[in-house]
Amino acid sequence: MYLKHLSLTNFRNYARLERDFPERTVLVQGQNAQGKTNLLEAIYYLATTRSPIIASDRHLISWGVAAEPLPYARLVGDVERSSGAAHLEVTLVREPARPENPAGRLARHIRLNGVERRAIDLLGQLNVVLFLPQDSDLIAGAPALRRRYLDVTLCQVDPAYCRHLQRYNRVLEQRNHLLRRLRERHDDPAQLTYWDEQLARWGALISRRRQRAVSDLEAAATLIHGELTGGSERLALQYEASLALPQLEADPATPEPDQPPPALYEAALSAIARTRQRDLASGVTTVGPHRDELRFVANGVDLGLLGSRGQQRTAALALKLAEVRFMAGQTGDMPILLLDDVMSELDRARGQYLLAALAGARQVVITTTDIEVFPREFVRQTVRWQVREGTISEERS
Amino acid sequence: MSLTPGPVGRLIEELSRLPGIGPKTASRLTFYMLRAPEAQVIALADAIRGLRAGTVLCSTCFNIAEHDPCPVCADQERDRGLICVVEEPLDVLAIERTRRFRGVYHVLHGALSPVDGIGPDELKMRELVERVRSGGVREVLLATNPTMEGDATAMYLARQLAPTGIRVTRLAMGLPVGGDLEYADEVTLGEALEGRRDV
Ligand SMILES: [Zn+2]
Repeated sequence: MYLKHLSLTNFRNYARLERDFPERTVLVQGQNAQGKTNLLEAIYYLATTRSPIIASDRHLISWGVAAEPLPYARLVGDVERSSGAAHLEVTLVREPARPENPAGRLARHIRLNGVERRAIDLLGQLNVVLFLPQDSDLIAGAPALRRRYLDVTLCQVDPAYCRHLQRYNRVLEQRNHLLRRLRERHDDPAQLTYWDEQLARWGALISRRRQRAVSDLEAAATLIHGELTGGSERLALQYEASLALPQLEADPATPEPDQPPPALYEAALSAIARTRQRDLASGVTTVGPHRDELRFVANGVDLGLLGSRGQQRTAALALKLAEVRFMAGQTGDMPILLLDDVMSELDRARGQYLLAALAGARQVVITTTDIEVFPREFVRQTVRWQVREGTISEERS
Repeated sequence: MSLTPGPVGRLIEELSRLPGIGPKTASRLTFYMLRAPEAQVIALADAIRGLRAGTVLCSTCFNIAEHDPCPVCADQERDRGLICVVEEPLDVLAIERTRRFRGVYHVLHGALSPVDGIGPDELKMRELVERVRSGGVREVLLATNPTMEGDATAMYLARQLAPTGIRVTRLAMGLPVGGDLEYADEVTLGEALEGRRDV
């Protein structure tokens, strides 16, 4: 697939942008803080309905319009996919301040092909893989980062997963509130039964889906990693499900939709039963996909804990390139690759490996401060844009 | 300095507290009332004021009514052996519209939702169990919403009622999951009533 056209209004430092995108590699050059990353952020937002960088969408609305009565930002993308064209539209509106919400509520309106939709309906319309300089944090950072990574990746290719995740989060919130309530005041613990069962149901579905995705990612990542390290290290991805699910291979071929296979459900339910006392004492749910871990292990060493910075970077690059293959395999469409100034983080050999891997993509958008980090012959095959203060102009070569 | 006179701002604020009404709608309604005939506006104000004073909870089914007992509980033709348990008074109206239910009701006034601080004590649950225990009941039909909270409530009630040995049923599937009974169309709701199954 590829992005044909992007239109931005009051998005970050883009007051107005109307831009056709070519079906090839675009090299976006500019100094820092001119809007390079914001451009990738906009495309990523249309694909995932969230920013890769910040938690609160309100910062996406340009500062320049903050004083207007109803400040808004709009992102519109036209996508060409093997299944046809799609028109994606997101509008963020900051409503006036109210006594109970002095900052003003942020309303989000989403349209798909002109029809008002929910965020979940936008997912999967546009698939992207984003490469960031800080990708090695995925390996070295907190477990929550890895879980979030799996969630965002899976939500892009599997709408059912996204639905299950919403259900799970709701159950988790209800169960945690109930645990706290039971700890603080006299109330009937029999209320837990229903939430335990729901936690087991949606939790088993989510952990299992992640396990299968990790197994697919691992197959590709191990290969790529082997090539990157000249075969000196063997990378393994280990997903640890806190619900103690049985072996992946044991699953029946076609479980019911929205229902885990009975063996999985039973295993999850007993794992929850085992921790019930602990949960009641602590007032939080201590098992479930929200506590699962994903480990990157090379030659028996957990890279997150003991890997060198270089090893972590290599593993992260292998993971991202594996993600491209994973997405293409799941959707039958090549995702759009977004690279945010990553060349400077990679040594020569890894940089060249990455550029060679881009050759298979339909559309790539690369930002850089310095065009010199790319080989001449690579640059020649790209379309070059220059970004300055939220304006893009074409470079003539 | 604000350009909006105090009383106007106050009404906009009060209206926008209501469910389904945003600041825009609240402003539109407020300015409509400023221009509407005075009699109409006073009638509205009286209706709001009379809302609490003129209604009671039925002491049997806890539906909102003008008198206690409510018309359904007072109706000798209704089947007292069949109790339909719903979350809200609006659900009673929705089921009555189908004209396919001849039993009586029990309004819980909500569903179990720990996030909102609602447990069994915040709902008319103990009253239901006592009502069933006091005799004459053949079946309890749990018609809570097809949401997680509605299901949690139904399941919890089913366990509470199990020791009584009385038949407990749940509305059949076919209702949109996550929806409210109140928005289900009459045919769908009617079918859900007929196709109820044992819990
Ligand atoms: Zn009554």
